[in-house]
Amino acid sequence: MSQFYRRLPRLQYFLPKTLDEALSFLKEHKAAARLFAGGTDLVPQLKKRETDIPLYLVDLKGIQGLDAITYDEEAGLKIGPLATISAIATCPFVQDHYPSLFQAASSMASPQVRNRGTFAGNICSAVPSADSAPALLALEASVRLLGQKGEREVPIDQFFTGPRKTVLEADEMLLEIGVPSPKPGSRGVYLKLSPRHSMDLAIVGVAAVGTCEDGVCKNIKIALGAVAPTPIRVPAAEATLEGKRITPGIIEEASQKAASQCSPIDDHRASLEYRRDMVYILARRALNHVFMQ
Amino acid sequence: MEQIKLTVNGKDYELQIRPWATLLEVIREDLGLTGAKEGCGEGECGACTVIMDGKAVNSCIVLAVEANGRQITTIEGLAEGDKLHPVQEAFLEKGGMQCGFCTPGMILSTKVLLDGNKNPTDEEIRKGLEGNFCRCTGYTKIFESVKAAAQKVRG
Amino acid sequence: MKEYTVIGQRVPRIDGRQKVMGQAKYAADYSLPGMLFCKVARLPVAHARILNIDTSKAERLPGVKAVVTAKDFNGWTWGFMANTRDEPPLAMDKVRYYMEAVAGVAAIDEDIAEEACDLIKVDYEELPAVFDPEEAIQEGAPVVHDYRPNNVSVEYHWNFGDVEKAFAESHLVREDRFRTSRATKGYLEPPASLAWYDPAGSITVWAAKQSPYFHYRHLAACFELPLSKIRVIQPFIGGGFGGTKNDSVAGDFCAVMLSKMTGKPVKFIYAQEEELTVSKRRHSMIVYNKMGMSKDGLITAIQSRVIADGGGYTAVSPLTMYLTGCCTPLPYKLPHYKYDCYRAFTNNPICAAMRGHGVTHTRFACEIQMEMMAEELGIDPVEIRMRNAIDNPKTGEIYRTINDMTLKTCGIKEAIQTLVRDPLWAQKDKAPKQDGSVSYGVGMSATSYLGGARQLGHQSCAATVRICEDGTVNLITGATDCGQGSDTVLAMIAAEELGVRYQDIDFKMVDSAYTPVDPGSYGSRVTVLAGQAVQTAAADAKKQLLDILGREWKVSPGEIEIKNAEVYHKSNPSRRIPFDKLAKIACYSGSGAVIIGKGYSGYGIEPLGFENGRGNAGTSFSFTAQTTRAGVDMETGHVTISDFVIAHDCGRPLNPIGAESQNEGGAVQGMGQAIYEDFIMDRGKTLNPTFLDYKMPRSTDVPNIKVIDIITDDPDGPFGAKEASEGSHVSAPPSVVAAIHDATGIWFKEQPVTAAKIVAALKEKGKWPR
Repeated sequence: MSQFYRRLPRLQYFLPKTLDEALSFLKEHKAAARLFAGGTDLVPQLKKRETDIPLYLVDLKGIQGLDAITYDEEAGLKIGPLATISAIATCPFVQDHYPSLFQAASSMASPQVRNRGTFAGNICSAVPSADSAPALLALEASVRLLGQKGEREVPIDQFFTGPRKTVLEADEMLLEIGVPSPKPGSRGVYLKLSPRHSMDLAIVGVAAVGTCEDGVCKNIKIALGAVAPTPIRVPAAEATLEGKRITPGIIEEASQKAASQCSPIDDHRASLEYRRDMVYILARRALNHVFMQ
Repeated sequence: MEQIKLTVNGKDYELQIRPWATLLEVIREDLGLTGAKEGCGEGECGACTVIMDGKAVNSCIVLAVEANGRQITTIEGLAEGDKLHPVQEAFLEKGGMQCGFCTPGMILSTKVLLDGNKNPTDEEIRKGLEGNFCRCTGYTKIFESVKAAAQKVRG
Repeated sequence: MKEYTVIGQRVPRIDGRQKVMGQAKYAADYSLPGMLFCKVARLPVAHARILNIDTSKAERLPGVKAVVTAKDFNGWTWGFMANTRDEPPLAMDKVRYYMEAVAGVAAIDEDIAEEACDLIKVDYEELPAVFDPEEAIQEGAPVVHDYRPNNVSVEYHWNFGDVEKAFAESHLVREDRFRTSRATKGYLEPPASLAWYDPAGSITVWAAKQSPYFHYRHLAACFELPLSKIRVIQPFIGGGFGGTKNDSVAGDFCAVMLSKMTGKPVKFIYAQEEELTVSKRRHSMIVYNKMGMSKDGLITAIQSRVIADGGGYTAVSPLTMYLTGCCTPLPYKLPHYKYDCYRAFTNNPICAAMRGHGVTHTRFACEIQMEMMAEELGIDPVEIRMRNAIDNPKTGEIYRTINDMTLKTCGIKEAIQTLVRDPLWAQKDKAPKQDGSVSYGVGMSATSYLGGARQLGHQSCAATVRICEDGTVNLITGATDCGQGSDTVLAMIAAEELGVRYQDIDFKMVDSAYTPVDPGSYGSRVTVLAGQAVQTAAADAKKQLLDILGREWKVSPGEIEIKNAEVYHKSNPSRRIPFDKLAKIACYSGSGAVIIGKGYSGYGIEPLGFENGRGNAGTSFSFTAQTTRAGVDMETGHVTISDFVIAHDCGRPLNPIGAESQNEGGAVQGMGQAIYEDFIMDRGKTLNPTFLDYKMPRSTDVPNIKVIDIITDDPDGPFGAKEASEGSHVSAPPSVVAAIHDATGIWFKEQPVTAAKIVAALKEKGKWPR
């Protein structure tokens, strides 16, 4: 029979002190072990029995040095897997150099959740509406993954494979999110559309990062959230703009293209038609923000 | 069972708890501090808000084991004996509550907000409390309470 | 200009200190030694016949002490009326809505109780189901209850005057279809109680009930015990808003039965998702409204045909459907009126009462339709209202509606004029109408709500004022504060009448072993009716005290006054003693006296005329006019409500902070229904039973709110009071929708007016960019 659970299921807890310990544990227990940092997505899911119940919860917060956020002009921004959304939102490097990431972080949930949740967790949970994803895609971020076979780097646009699915193997964890140094003169924005002014998942999320020189688009990256099985880039819309002179007409064209490139669903939060229409509107606004000062 | 050490409202505790117990459950059931409430159990309403190492968190989705070694402040830890904390005083004077279920969480979130910013704008107050849901008041007198508390805190 | 010492003062809540300190205990905060935990098991099917329930595995799980199913309740059912007792504590032959309760488990802890529920097996036969109320009352629809083969749970047909003739003679007639949201109370505290069945034959529960005496009667009937053996202790309540906490839930009955079976106290707490999926919520209604007007915009007739989705059981809906129709003749003059309503059984969750009960649905329809007609006639929103609004009766006069509701005060015209002068409306044409893609609009509404309601049967309430020998005062009533502030206002009334200070009153919360029976907190009746009882009780205690002092001082008691806890001779004020001295004198006079003041609410309305709609729905009526400023993003449909101004005639606000807060909260809750809140259903399953997806206004959503009091000093309320809890909840949705119309040029007739609906409508009108 059914019920509404208030308690978590029986679980065991493991607090590794080093990365090696964490990885060995993962290798040994595979799917019976789940990693977590903030737990703001995992714990509610476990309570509601919406995900497979693992035997072990592996808490990464015992490992030193994983919460750093660093920046230099060459290497760009490095976000550790335990850096909280609050830490990211209040980080001067983020505020100064990556406004789209700042906007994404500030738009997520509540102060309480931001104090615990992480960008790493957000992208590993891989919900199509993940707020950190569009900006990271538009910034051409990459993630460093660590497993038994060693480290590998995966560009963020290859990281997501489906709703709540990523390329992470059962024995792998996300070690770092790397965001390249912003191109000189680039402007970026993350726009989130939701019914209320807070505490909503995105119905549509649009990030755009680009540079313009003498009125000509030098480069542009556009990414969408909540309108496809994964957060996506829209290269066809980007191609409309690259190398072209910026006009309201071309922004219009690119926005229409972006809307045609997404594959939203009808669900209880919004209809397919509304989502598609809003991709057009938000893409237009994002591109105007990037290109029309 | 897991063994944890918590400091709650300045008092040290050593507890044996189930690893899947949430911090909220341990505070309410093991420590008998029922000020923190379970409203939704999934981090949406903020009725369970406590301050952990200076930051507001939803204790219903923090495992008690995660709080091992941490400093926790609950609503019971704000007043000094009978002397109310300025935030509590302000909420009482301005009527920033009706049923009171959201009040402990709301007051703690306010305290954290003012700890970081003694002169918040209307916008900053609204955003600072976005994680604390109230169904009774329409928030109006909560905002008035926060402003009055800010004035008290500024001295 | 009346001068009061306590009434009208901005005092802190009487329970405020406990609440800010986290000391206030709610049902889930109580524990008893040896307590077991109860968990309710449910069937995830909207309509099914139960063939077999196998609880054997659950019973064998270590730590489980007892399991209860419908058979343990011996076929007992309850309901609002004698002929609607269709609801069992646990599903008997059928389940009629998704996740209806089928069994209860008591275990030594909640983890085990949850594991046990997973082990209960139910064999069932799924039945064809019906989810649309209009479909449900058609021939051939699946039958939800055999005793209502046409699925019509409640139906009324009222007729006042001659609407046909009036429509025929009207200059303009409109017919429109309106729809109100699937909305719910949205309180933070899920239902919970701690129950103890004493084997000696009594029941004690700490239960989150805003009307504990309903529950006390349910328990007495269910467990076949006399009322004198039922003790319902009311803890602090985390919000009520009508509906569930005015009723009993499966967990309540299971906890008591399991306590009886195990000999241990048993506690249950619902999860919030449980509350949002199964608890009684507001009806969603379809209102087919027809209105006629003269060339000058005077309303000639209204005909309302209402189809309500009732869900799987009747609950309080005979009253709901009555209230949906009875207040249509307010706040405007209405000479002809016809009302036909059908409340349908469906396999959706049970719909019952919620703030603004009934009235909100038809008032929404009438306000919007009236403005649509005014627009057609070229009459502005203020003018149309002023031409139709009921005048404030002169002292001693009574206004009577066509369905025999009577008013002694009606401040609606003053409320409207107050809003007209207020800057939000007065300067709306000077304020920017457009800012980028956002279009601004200002809308108005004028509405009414009843106070001092009654249900059926028992409706009296009482109070005692107990003077302790040290001069402190206990106030004991059966009235429940579920957050709305009644404890505070009743204490203020007692203090004012007795002459002591507000802080001298100690208020006792309901404990049915000791407090007098009371109908409960609903229909905005507590201030008006319990208030009268309290005022009378305080006056009685004062009389007893002054009779004794009069003899001591050798003056007539009428020559002594008590004010601010000081007792003095009116014509020689230097002859004075503090109140505590008076108490000592009185209590120790002769061989001692026990000073207990007693009061009853001696007035009230006649039994309601459900079948014909005639007669008073309440002892008095509040009037609320509201203006709203909204910004609509014409590209995304996103709505931002920036301002509310609420002009509220509650007679006289006795507790200004409380009355303002009720107005603010009620309006925000109404705004939620207007633009955000709606349960999305898929064949009986609620798709959004979480705070994430059932979208209620957060701190970043709410407007700036100004509340202006309209004082009419109603002769029937204590110190002139009328209701102040539900009026603004009714005024908000039409005001918000009118503002959205002013911003977009489009009238919306279906709540909630979501961003997607706005974009769809803009597209249809060619007003959208693509």
